[in-house]
Amino acid sequence: MIRPVYITGTGVVSAIGLGKTATLEALLGNRSGVGPLKYLKTEHKEFPVGEVKLTNSEMCTRLGIPQDAVTTRTALMGMLALGEALEEARLTPDMLPKVGFISGTTVGGMDMSEQFYLDYLNGDAHKEYIAVYDCGSCSEMTAGHFGKFAFATTLATACSSAANAVIQGANMIRYGEADIVVVGGSECITKFHLNGFNSLMILDTKPCRPFDATRSGLNLGEGAAYLVLESEESARRRGVKPQALLSGYGNACDAFHQTASSPDGEGAYRAMKEALELAGLQPVDIDYVNAHGTGTPNNDVSESQAMMRLFSGQVPPVSSTKPFTGHTTSASGSIEAVFCILALQQGFLPVNLNWSQPMDNGIVPVAKPEKKTLRHVLCNAFGFGGNDSSLLLSKTDTV
Amino acid sequence: MKNNKIYVLSAKQISMQQPLSEEWMQNPILYDVPFSRSIDPNFKEYVSPIEARRMGRILKRALTTSKEALKTAGRETVDAIVTGTGVGCVENTEFFLNALSSEGEQLLKPTYFMQSTHNTISSLVAIQTKNFNYNATYAHKGISFESALHDAWLQFQLGKIKSALVGCHDEMTETFYQIMKKGGVMGQDDERCGEVAVSVVLSDNAEDAHPLCRLTGLKMLHQPLMSDLEEALDAMLQSANRSLDDIDFVLTGISGNHQSDGAYLTEAKALFGDKPLLKYKHLFGENFTASGLGFYVAAQCLKAGQIPAPLFVHADEISDKQPNCILVFNHSDGKDYTLTLMEA
Repeated sequence: MIRPVYITGTGVVSAIGLGKTATLEALLGNRSGVGPLKYLKTEHKEFPVGEVKLTNSEMCTRLGIPQDAVTTRTALMGMLALGEALEEARLTPDMLPKVGFISGTTVGGMDMSEQFYLDYLNGDAHKEYIAVYDCGSCSEMTAGHFGKFAFATTLATACSSAANAVIQGANMIRYGEADIVVVGGSECITKFHLNGFNSLMILDTKPCRPFDATRSGLNLGEGAAYLVLESEESARRRGVKPQALLSGYGNACDAFHQTASSPDGEGAYRAMKEALELAGLQPVDIDYVNAHGTGTPNNDVSESQAMMRLFSGQVPPVSSTKPFTGHTTSASGSIEAVFCILALQQGFLPVNLNWSQPMDNGIVPVAKPEKKTLRHVLCNAFGFGGNDSSLLLSKTDTV
Repeated sequence: MKNNKIYVLSAKQISMQQPLSEEWMQNPILYDVPFSRSIDPNFKEYVSPIEARRMGRILKRALTTSKEALKTAGRETVDAIVTGTGVGCVENTEFFLNALSSEGEQLLKPTYFMQSTHNTISSLVAIQTKNFNYNATYAHKGISFESALHDAWLQFQLGKIKSALVGCHDEMTETFYQIMKKGGVMGQDDERCGEVAVSVVLSDNAEDAHPLCRLTGLKMLHQPLMSDLEEALDAMLQSANRSLDDIDFVLTGISGNHQSDGAYLTEAKALFGDKPLLKYKHLFGENFTASGLGFYVAAQCLKAGQIPAPLFVHADEISDKQPNCILVFNHSDGKDYTLTLMEA
């Protein structure tokens, strides 16, 4: 008998808002947060992005952190999201020594280091930022703002990092190593990966159009989201309300190419299939898929193929919410999981914005708002290197 | 909690000691400099010349140690590939940062970016071995290796996997070393720094192979009190049906960093009493994933049935007592702690 894993708290920050209330309003109101570059200092003003609408300074103020604190945008966004999740799950600082923390990020503190790189080479200016360059340090700063956790580690699998953090936390709970593990991820936009993605020629100078015939690339985004995973006994004991059930998950490797997905989406197919098998569900039980759907010609055809194969042609409603937020890379797995939980609770299908023309060999996504009772949803996150992960989330009312 | 048997079928390394070899046990290379890059083997058995031209050292080493480990283990495929790295592909990250600084944001080469992300290592191994199974990369400073090992450990215990390739890789250029030293991250006091490439094959059975040892316990703690460490050690020993008396040697991450070393000695005394202490970083160097080299050293010592004299921290503890049970004790920045139990 597999130990159920509940989600008892969530927190999110992205281009469509700080916190779940603002996020839900934007999702229901079909209001995208993608627009011209405003915060990141870069020459590339031609790319629309999904930036969090706060400067680092404003984030510090909100968090009560001194303006001159040595920190990173990734950690600051993480703290904002983590705070909301801990509050909903009623986890106070004195309880954290029994709680695990697993975060996903791949750029870590590169936002600072890319600015200070020449300083690092030529003198002592800004050397205090060297120690917060790596991924693990960002996770620890995020967690440390709230207290001392029992356990901390960091996944760095590019766009599936946060999804893999969820999987790892769930395995810990199922094994009995922990009762409560906070999982998720955070990533800010950096010049480094904006230029990196541009060098791969997969950015669109227009707002992205996942699964559309005219799609021509992705928009980068940034943000953070955390979920409090909790065992049934613990949730019952603490009398805390579950927000959703993590019924299943899968992790597979496409083993095809470092930055492109295989034409038939083998890794994606295996990840989704594994999630279904773990949950003991059939494809027909899935009411909605939150696709990875970046809007690149490659991903959307690959993911479509995988879905059509998994669902034997009877694909349930699918949408990508990346036109709302941009592609939040490492954080996307947890940000979009929170969107799925909102959809489960409120009974609606998030719209695949900017879609108008069906693509060849692809699925037709949800183009218009629709209220629908959802029981089980899949949430996909596929990273460079073929690190493909899928989460299966289910509606729950009581423990 | 269950404690399924996990065998270490093979462990391969490329470091500042002779690569892909246990020569360090008889004739360790002694260094007198604060930083050394690894001694690389001839990669041509595993990396074609075309690939080699485009691939950074960290990737060549990862492929080589992985394929060697799989070969020795007699396994063509594994159920999971899990990798740890502190800062990923440094050479390519530097190339890209240098290009951004000197040439600006136009006409940047995609190869540098593609091969700079941390999970490039783990996925390259999967691509080359055609492995569609579980694949993950951990990047959490000095416990990056244990994080990867812990992931595999959990999956073995849950019965999700029967085999795994667990590796850890970190490279360091002279420039990057200077930056890390300036930032107080490593290279303090007498600390010697190096690079890391370790690949280990784990399996729930050893029928068709000659295992090096068994992995019988693993605990990871964040900012623990001494009482937390004691409790974790007790729980780990109990789960492995062992007692403190059964531990023959404690392998520490003593590195030449005075503050960190002092902590190791105090903590080891409190946890393990008068057990003989060992060290390995004076031979292999310090880096984020050096603890993977510690795991490799412990495994080879258990297989060989002896501890080479240079590993002993205290000369008066040197003995030729056969090791049956080694506890690997690691901390990262004094914040994250790991205890790994390994047995013959």
